Amino acid sequence: MASQPAGGSPPKPWEQEGNTSGPNPFRPPSNTSTAGSVEASGTANPGEVVSSVNRTNTAANMNALSRPVPTRPWEQQSYGTTMGGYGSNLGVNSGYGSGTYGSALGGYGGGMYGGSSMYRGGYGGAGGLYGSSGMYGGGGMYNSSYGGTMGGYGMGMGSGMGMGMGMGMGMGPYGGQDPNDPFNQPPSPPGFWISFLRVMQGAVNFFGRVAMLIDQNTQAFHMFMSALLQLFDRGGMLYGELARFVLRMLGVRTKPRKMQQPPQGPNGLPLPHQPHGNQNYIEGPKTAVPGGGGGWDNVWGN
Amino acid sequence: MPMFKAPFNGYSVKFSPFYESRLAVATAQNFGILGNGRIHVLELAPGAPGVTESVAYDTADAVYDVCWSESHDSVLVAAIGDGSVKIYDTALPPPSNPIRSFQEHGREVHSVDYNPTRRDSFLTSSWDDTVKLWAMDRPASIRTFKEHAYCVYQATWNPKHGDVFASASGDCTLRIWDVREPGSTMIIPAHDFELLSCDWNKYDDCILATSSVDKTIKVWDVRSYRVPLAVLNGHGYAVKKVKFSPHRRNLIASCSYDMTVCLWDYMVEDALVGRYDHHTEFAVGIDMSVLVEGLMASTGWDELVYVWQQGMDPRAS
Repeated sequence: MASQPAGGSPPKPWEQEGNTSGPNPFRPPSNTSTAGSVEASGTANPGEVVSSVNRTNTAANMNALSRPVPTRPWEQQSYGTTMGGYGSNLGVNSGYGSGTYGSALGGYGGGMYGGSSMYRGGYGGAGGLYGSSGMYGGGGMYNSSYGGTMGGYGMGMGSGMGMGMGMGMGMGPYGGQDPNDPFNQPPSPPGFWISFLRVMQGAVNFFGRVAMLIDQNTQAFHMFMSALLQLFDRGGMLYGELARFVLRMLGVRTKPRKMQQPPQGPNGLPLPHQPHGNQNYIEGPKTAVPGGGGGWDNVWGN
Repeated sequence: MPMFKAPFNGYSVKFSPFYESRLAVATAQNFGILGNGRIHVLELAPGAPGVTESVAYDTADAVYDVCWSESHDSVLVAAIGDGSVKIYDTALPPPSNPIRSFQEHGREVHSVDYNPTRRDSFLTSSWDDTVKLWAMDRPASIRTFKEHAYCVYQATWNPKHGDVFASASGDCTLRIWDVREPGSTMIIPAHDFELLSCDWNKYDDCILATSSVDKTIKVWDVRSYRVPLAVLNGHGYAVKKVKFSPHRRNLIASCSYDMTVCLWDYMVEDALVGRYDHHTEFAVGIDMSVLVEGLMASTGWDELVYVWQQGMDPRAS
């Protein structure tokens, strides 16, 4: 970062004017840098990594909001809790496996941002279908075979009502990436489960973002759905009309007409396969126009 | 008027505070749902209608917002969908970019705003419910503000007070913060639906505007925040971004999912003073030039970036 005018950007148009609306309720600004002013106030907390676990807890503790808060679409409560048993088979750091993490269905990414202790490996995955069954979730399973340096992974998955799916997963770092790894193994290519979990993470992201878009744009979504329904409705009507037309072309009369003149073949004979031929044959002469060339009177005449 | 066609869907556009002809645009593939992102740096050709791209940076995930540094004319900060915050220097060759990447947010970063008074720090807000404060010379964030109970869609610095900022969240509240205080200094339950954006009046540091899914924009005074100063009705769908004019005290620009960009004067009765329907998809990014009065830019999901002078037709070339 080198080239710049020393004083920063040109003065803003509003900086030439004073504040005309009287006193403001803010504390007077500090004369130091932003970082300096935060540090002087004792509120600095550098480099805090935000995980979904922290997020949920702090929101509950510090939020002064009285109204109900919408559920995050990507972590809708689904069957995670009823699958039970998560946390029971976790490895070393059981703290990440239980409580909010598990009940949020191993909420998206809860395990991924597991804080500093993830570097000591052995943090097991979430609950849910697989984790709780002990099949894959056991951090201990991997820890034992890798000497505790490679984080196990586990995952929970459940199909929920909300967005149709809710998944959670957590991955430990590879052994080789652990700065404290005594064995210093080179990173191995991701195994099947790791790549599978990455694909799953992509799916979670996808549905999360779709849900957020719908969130931001509820009316548009509503309009879209009603337009779609209307289209189906119209489509149904169109299909009905089309079907009637095709049937007519095939000669099927949806409403057989009465009092109709039979079409005539050569020599005035009724056409074969005429469905109402007999009836018309009998009634034909009565309805024929007198003196008409096609009348039945002339058949036997002459 | 100049127009630029991006390969991806537009999400945000910002004028450079140093050069009147320079803009940055944040775009995302597949409407920001899945795929890559790209940051374009555009130059308006002097005298002639047209925009040229001077450089573009690809990212592995959607770019939701971008902002220019107020201290370095070539530096810009991008908010990325994978939770990272990346810093680019357009003066350096593309292989050396990004010059920094911070991975601290747990979910998509949705806005970034550079401190306009101190010019040494910037804020990011994220779907992980937090706002983070960063300084260029620090290897990690200085502080994390965790109080919102839902995604924080935007955090904006007060234009006159280097310690104060506001944040708009999906938990339906607007919060005012002082970076020296442990918690927020004010909570305004601004709308009944999610807030999508907020911005400060540039000429009165106590007044700010919020936009929401409820299709309205509300103007607030922090000294009497029980009732809004004004409620601006006119958009047909959720209002995605709201922005006070840097030149005129009462002028507000907004863009919405109803595909229009609107101009408002919140002090008069018929507040809607202009409506532009040049976008054919959701209009989600808007900015007004600090250096040229009346110059506006907008972008949307139709992959187009328009730059035009207020009162003109953005499509007229």
